[in-house]
Amino acid sequence: MSENFQVQHAADETRLLVRGMLDVNTAPGLAEIVDELIAERRPRVVVDLSALDIIDSSGVAVLVKLYKGVRGVGGQVQITGARDQPLAIFKLLRMDKVFAL
Amino acid sequence: MPGSLRYRAIAVRVVAEACRLISRPELESDAAAPGYDLTHPFDSAVVSAFAEIFNNIAIHAYGRRDTGLPIDLALWIEPDGITIELRDQGSPFEIADVPTPSLDELHEGGMGIHIARSLLDRVEYEPGPPNLWRLYKRLAVEEARPSVVTR
Repeated sequence: MSENFQVQHAADETRLLVRGMLDVNTAPGLAEIVDELIAERRPRVVVDLSALDIIDSSGVAVLVKLYKGVRGVGGQVQITGARDQPLAIFKLLRMDKVFAL
Repeated sequence: MPGSLRYRAIAVRVVAEACRLISRPELESDAAAPGYDLTHPFDSAVVSAFAEIFNNIAIHAYGRRDTGLPIDLALWIEPDGITIELRDQGSPFEIADVPTPSLDELHEGGMGIHIARSLLDRVEYEPGPPNLWRLYKRLAVEEARPSVVTR
């Protein structure tokens, strides 16, 4: 797994920590993790973006895929900790409301 | 530089540092935070937009292939703004045909040019070859350092 991503499974919650740069080059690595979380029907996924410095539209796309995919199999997604550039992008795309940032 | 996503990070770092020189010229380079310091809204907006345009060239104009063809990058650093030009030898497209996405739903693609247009004061594209992107962002007066604020 890339050092940019860390997954921690607890009894009822999966924490996904995303660090550094989530962009066109690193997003495919996260997409593989997202596919697994959706296939495993994880009931609750918390995405911690407090260590994320920069995101692009490819990174946003993977987070949207996670949000739709986990909810699509009956789970919940919470996105926390977005700041600076990533938060500005979420606000620009009006995703801060959806993600409750 | 080669028109490949492998060179994207170095291009982004160059633009990020250029923005810092404009938005926070009082900071010594050594004092800048390691990694990407995009805490200033000007830097955040320009880097976000530039990265999307670089992606667009590498992915669409050059088809994600290591063609050996370049992206020529030029920056004009001024006290109150930045102009960035990118030239590529890849496939041109008609920018007027790019739809504006509806933000009422969540999208998994097609947001790059919308992000660039929304964050910059000017985004121009001239199909070629060479294709030319010209990006411009003004440093808002309220963002500028006190010494350049007109009173």
